[in-house]
Amino acid sequence: MTTNFEYNQEALKNLQIDDPSILDRLIDGESARQAHLKKERGKVDKRISLKEAVQEFVKDGDIYADSGFSYVRTPLQALFEVMRQGKKDLQGIGSPNTNHSYGIPYGTFSYSHNSYLGAEMRGTDRSYSKAVKEKKVKILSEWSHGSMGLGFKAAQMGAPYIASKSLLGSDIIKYNPYVKVVENPFKKDKDPVCLIPALYPDVVFIHVQWADKYGNARIYGPAVNDIALAVAARKVIITAEEIVPESDLRNTTNTNVIPFMFVDAVVHLPYGAVPGNCPGYYYWAREFWEWGIRIALSGKDDKYRDSFWDYWVFDCKDQFDFIEKLGGIRWLNKHQVIERALNGINEDDGIDLSYQSVIPKWDEE
Amino acid sequence: MSKVAPANPLEMLAYNISLMIEDNQIVYIGTGLPMVGAILAKKTHAPNITMVYESGGQDPLEGEMPWSVGCPFTYRKSPMTLEMAISFGQCAIGYVDIAFQGGAQIDMYGNVNTSVIGSYENLKAILPGSGGGNDIGSLTQKSVLVGLQTPDRFPAKVDFITTPGYLDGGDSREKAGLLGGPIAVVTQVGIYDFEPVTKRMRIKALNPGMSVEIAQACTGFELLVPEGEVPFIEPPRDEVLEILRNEVDPRRVFTKMPGS
Repeated sequence: MTTNFEYNQEALKNLQIDDPSILDRLIDGESARQAHLKKERGKVDKRISLKEAVQEFVKDGDIYADSGFSYVRTPLQALFEVMRQGKKDLQGIGSPNTNHSYGIPYGTFSYSHNSYLGAEMRGTDRSYSKAVKEKKVKILSEWSHGSMGLGFKAAQMGAPYIASKSLLGSDIIKYNPYVKVVENPFKKDKDPVCLIPALYPDVVFIHVQWADKYGNARIYGPAVNDIALAVAARKVIITAEEIVPESDLRNTTNTNVIPFMFVDAVVHLPYGAVPGNCPGYYYWAREFWEWGIRIALSGKDDKYRDSFWDYWVFDCKDQFDFIEKLGGIRWLNKHQVIERALNGINEDDGIDLSYQSVIPKWDEE
Repeated sequence: MSKVAPANPLEMLAYNISLMIEDNQIVYIGTGLPMVGAILAKKTHAPNITMVYESGGQDPLEGEMPWSVGCPFTYRKSPMTLEMAISFGQCAIGYVDIAFQGGAQIDMYGNVNTSVIGSYENLKAILPGSGGGNDIGSLTQKSVLVGLQTPDRFPAKVDFITTPGYLDGGDSREKAGLLGGPIAVVTQVGIYDFEPVTKRMRIKALNPGMSVEIAQACTGFELLVPEGEVPFIEPPRDEVLEILRNEVDPRRVFTKMPGS
């Protein structure tokens, strides 16, 4: 296969990428531009179901991105539907890309553009490490959050690349075929900079609190990379807690807005970020994450992993089944109350934040 | 005799982090102990600091809450939040004074590894990855490294440079084109700085009860020792410990010793 791009040869060698054409689409601005030029221009009702959205817009082999930050406003229910529909060989990209490892055993994700995988204080995703060793997933590029974020920003700005001071001198550069260190051409003295190409994922799911039926979307809380991703990606699906009238968005212009023309489909998906946190709506399922990261993703035994995803993904048809398993309306209300208290929307005095932390038997002493 | 129990090692670490912060600074906060240290600083000697976070939170109101980096706490009633790329831009363009970061390995020149143990070709384990670590350490005027100090975690050379410190020492960081740099390493043993010419890690001050020998025994390379007597850090005053225990981390999320 031929490629039209000049990649960092050392990184190709270190990552053992024999056919670099697999890397092309992520930085192929012309094809992203063509995809955008073909999009619907009219302000039309774009509402469809999650099932339809995944069927229509996620193709095997796509570069798949999603919104939010690890377990905050991440479209996890969309990801679970992608797994249920048996999509294959996706390239996962995101900063962080915490959730992409779930689909690796099922062939959902076969490639990784990696920046951060894990759940911070909750633990390390050892199953990812195991999958890399067993060659079930191939790392195509290594990133920091900032450098990847700048790649999406460059795409948003319509700039082919951005020069940055991140990554210089690090070993990440030896494992990223895309980035290049050059001398700043504006300076007389030597001044190395790292060039980061604009990054164009194929498809992005963005979970928001509010959208209208045309795709105008509003985010409360950190927008992370999502405003850039909405422009950068070839296909954009909004999943929203609530579908609000267009006039509501027009009258409240002080929060982050994704304009309708970027958006291919709108899915009304209440609780679409469960078991994560949706700012202002619900807190995250702490026990679920601890069980997931400390037992299912511990890499100790595949049966822990398989039974976990069977129970939470493949034996659920939608987010409502999922919430029933978490504890139904009682779980939901408790986590709505906590979230609103933590945001200072409701009184926080007297809020009970206790929960039963999940400690695996092998960690007990 | 004081009625307040002396600081445990994690509390001492949080206290030492707080000492790195000066009033009126803009402080970039990671999860865990740096958050505890920064809030302690704010409630004691540095009431006018502004905290900013990787996910984009700016100047949140703190509350008595448990913490994680995605927690609503990082943008609670923030006047605004910024996008992630812009939050790192703040570090590069000079709107952040000091940042903190941890790592699985920290070496003699302050390079940090959060990527792999072993190598990609001969993999022992993949660690979570850079996250914002590389950006914070590459861009921020002053960064402080935080770690539990053992010979394995403090090797002569990290397996993988996720976040550059002073690279090979001397002027190699500057030559690489990086901004700012690490000014200190804070551990349960004490506080280290970097010798100005070689940029090698050097003992700055030790925690109460520690010694140069203990510090060296916890390190996988030869530590530089300052001339003259090595100073000891004054233990935190009772009222500081009470603020730490009653107001900053009352649920002991980050300052409870494992097994206690």
